[in-house]
Amino acid sequence: MIELPLIFLGGLLGSAHCVGMCGGFAVSIGLGSRGLADNIARQLVYTTGRIFTYSFLGVVAGYAGFWIAGKSNLWVNAQAALCLIAGVLLLAQGLLALGIVPRRRWPRVQGGGSVCLVGTFVGPFLTSPRVSNVLIAGVLTGFLPCGLVYGYLALASSSANMGAGLLTMCLFGAGTAPLMILAGAGGSLISHAARRNLMRISAICVALTGLISCARGILFVQIAPAPEVVRCLFCGPSS
Amino acid sequence: MTPLPRESVCDYCKLPLPYSPRGSPRSARDEQAPLYCCLGCRVASVIVEEKGEHGVPRTMLLRLGLSIFFTMNVMAFTMALWTTDVYGQSAAPSTLSLSLAGMFRYLVLLFSLPVLFLLGLPLFEHAWISLRQRVFSTDWLLASGVAASFAYSFLSVMRGHGPIYFEVGCFILVMTTLGRWLEVTGKLKAGAALDALARLLPERVRRISEGEDEVPLDEIRIGDLLRVLPGERFPADGRVENQAGLVDEQVLTGESRPVLKEPGDRILGGTLNLDADLRMIVTETGEKGTLARAVELVRLARQSQGRYQRLADQVASRFVPLVSAVAVVTFAVHCALGSVERGLWAALAVGLIACPCALGLAAPLAIWTALGHAAAHRVLFRSGEALERLAEIVAIRFDKTGTLTTGSAAVSHFFNDHTEMPETIQARAAALAAVSSHAMSRAIVEFAGSRRLTQAASISDVRVVPGFGVIGLLAPDKIPIVLGSRRFMRDQKLLVAPVLEWEMHGAEARGLPLALIGWGGRVRGLFIFEESWRPAAVAVMRSLTRRNIDVAVLTGDHGSRGRAIAEQLGVKVEAELLPAQKVAAIEQARSTAGPVCMVGDGINDSPALAAADVGIALGCGTDLSRDSASVCLLEDDLRRIPWSIELASRTRRVIRWNLLWAFGYNSVGVACAAVGLLNPALAAFLMVASGTLVTINSLRLGRTFEIEIDQGDSTAAASPLGSMASKELSGRPAAIDGLAQSEQFLTLETAAR
Repeated sequence: MIELPLIFLGGLLGSAHCVGMCGGFAVSIGLGSRGLADNIARQLVYTTGRIFTYSFLGVVAGYAGFWIAGKSNLWVNAQAALCLIAGVLLLAQGLLALGIVPRRRWPRVQGGGSVCLVGTFVGPFLTSPRVSNVLIAGVLTGFLPCGLVYGYLALASSSANMGAGLLTMCLFGAGTAPLMILAGAGGSLISHAARRNLMRISAICVALTGLISCARGILFVQIAPAPEVVRCLFCGPSS
Repeated sequence: MTPLPRESVCDYCKLPLPYSPRGSPRSARDEQAPLYCCLGCRVASVIVEEKGEHGVPRTMLLRLGLSIFFTMNVMAFTMALWTTDVYGQSAAPSTLSLSLAGMFRYLVLLFSLPVLFLLGLPLFEHAWISLRQRVFSTDWLLASGVAASFAYSFLSVMRGHGPIYFEVGCFILVMTTLGRWLEVTGKLKAGAALDALARLLPERVRRISEGEDEVPLDEIRIGDLLRVLPGERFPADGRVENQAGLVDEQVLTGESRPVLKEPGDRILGGTLNLDADLRMIVTETGEKGTLARAVELVRLARQSQGRYQRLADQVASRFVPLVSAVAVVTFAVHCALGSVERGLWAALAVGLIACPCALGLAAPLAIWTALGHAAAHRVLFRSGEALERLAEIVAIRFDKTGTLTTGSAAVSHFFNDHTEMPETIQARAAALAAVSSHAMSRAIVEFAGSRRLTQAASISDVRVVPGFGVIGLLAPDKIPIVLGSRRFMRDQKLLVAPVLEWEMHGAEARGLPLALIGWGGRVRGLFIFEESWRPAAVAVMRSLTRRNIDVAVLTGDHGSRGRAIAEQLGVKVEAELLPAQKVAAIEQARSTAGPVCMVGDGINDSPALAAADVGIALGCGTDLSRDSASVCLLEDDLRRIPWSIELASRTRRVIRWNLLWAFGYNSVGVACAAVGLLNPALAAFLMVASGTLVTINSLRLGRTFEIEIDQGDSTAAASPLGSMASKELSGRPAAIDGLAQSEQFLTLETAAR
């Protein structure tokens, strides 16, 4: 899989985006710590929880891809379609992050939506001093809606293989780890400008992964086995 | 509406307990044990208690989190098993894949045991406790289904062949607990607006005894002397002790202008001290304070049952036994026609999909959210039923004095004897009136102020002559200048010019109050007072009429005055009514039109308020004891009436939608599950989704909304003196204009010109 390093890089650099979105969680995790070493340990546990969830989602996506491919290989090349969908999703994510495609503002839910309800569930785990709670906080925040995660999940499903799906998402999660841990442990070690530049590179990585996936999809379409010519029972093969 | 007795409600959510076949569910043996309607409430009550103590989640929430973690593992390995199963169909299974599958089965068992322990045990415990307390809920159905799926799968793993359903059991346990947790969180959120009100009181207060010391709020007693700094909220009701200061009472009275409190004035707990270092003597503490009583009032309202809630509860109470029967029949039929496994499968799906949580939440959650939202906007409903009834009213009756009118005077006309400039006379009158706090004096000051009469009046030695008026000395000759009653003018030997005499007779004939000003042997000016309409009175009448509500005003005024009012407001007026006749008018409206709402100030119209289907009392902010009304507006803003009606009809809409959804979803779901079309895991997910949908739909009622009350032409259309009124409006100082952009200051004009 040519894009595995790109996935890691996309995760690594894309975590500049993660810090913007989910950095608050990492900082809250740090709040319950006693000193730097403890804090880094907590961040590691928290990240492990997140990677666990991503990997789980990768497995589910891989299974879903496998299942779809198994159900539908008679009438459509599912893997090619999944590759194309994932590619378009990732490409869109990358272009959105680069600011090339204008971002549409979704109407905000006021007065308590489902996100707020979930927030009350995750919240207590974040600042709890116990390590098991930190792990669960990581597991739960892994489920939070995120465009980047969805893009890579689509990629994972396009592999139509549970192992590959697990690997994809695990690498993505591992990629997001360094910056999130830094953000949680040291506050903002990276300047705002540097973060913006990182986000640009990351967006390019994501878009590139998308392009590769698209190309793979097109390749799949081309090399798909040509349907067997139905031969007439009566006239038989022309010879 | 009285709250239900404690015996029949859940100790956490205060909803009625499900159907109990044998008498009271609280037997003597379990007198002290808390009763919960469902596992969710049991879980939530534990969590809330824990959060209340330490702010960290302990056992219960941790259990749920850990279970989610383990369930994810179970699902992953189960999926891996499924893929080998599929591979197994297509090709001959290799030894490796067979041994791998065998290991995965044990791994799934290993990972699902903690879930069974963490979430299964509380479920079994709850099912057992409710059985002992003779409260029947779907929990025992659920518990038996989960137990069966685990037992069956365990045997399969041990035997080495046969299907396993650990993932279904785990998923059901996690989903039901999570779903109920979300529902209970929704309930808590519905009460959040109310809690915000309750939290207005500071936790610690400065008490002055020998020195000054900080003590917790609940330690203060009546008679204590407290110090409240600028920017702090008053911790209790009391009286100002040391000096005057400005107080923001908006939270309780809706009045956005700061109120000047002088020593001896009453202070309400929860209001904001703006600028002075005040000391106060406590007159009411704790639960007897105004704010606490307001919060308590809404709490009681939440516990009372409305009609929709009773309907849902009646259905829910029949539901559990019915569903149990359906589940048993389903199990038996599928066992006979198919296999035990299929029977178990279908019965479990029936039990899951039929969980009446959505049904139980449909009405109360919407009502709680609406009650809390209303309370945050200073509208207190005494019961959920009042809210439901308000949505149904077709007629509304207003008391006039103190309800549609402000109860204070306003200058409607000014006449002079043409010996002086009117501006000079008004400015001098205002200078005299400024020293008195009499309602008419304030009206004169306001009238002069509205015309921006700022010229120096050069009057000295002003003093009040109680019962007569105000007297001062006019520079440069130090001649006496007098403002007051006609008798005061006679005493001061001031002559009334014929032109003023004529106007005065006219006003006196109509019973209108008046005041005179004079100096140098002559009465120079005449002020005639009128009641003034509350802001937006006309616009509110129109808004109500537009909603096809039959609007009328009930007044004790003379018939001719009534006709004038009818012309002013554009609605029917029933005049010359005694208080008892107002009750008769309400009853007549009910018989001719339908459910009727009465709006009054709650002081002299309580019989009519009590007689109406919904009674709304205005200005209860300082006096919550007006309990003849089922709705109390803390402020005097009439626009809250159409707002409340809109809120009520929105609430009704949400409740109906919720009930329709819950009934429909449950019926269709049970039917599908009974014929075996529904996977139990999917049923568990649907159950959570349905409850969450109802929760989110109900919480929508907490969003702010605006009602359209057109203000545009109401002044000109309503008042014959439209142009003059609008001139007055534009000349009003910013402080008064700032009250509300839409505020109008209509003066009722009945004096013939």
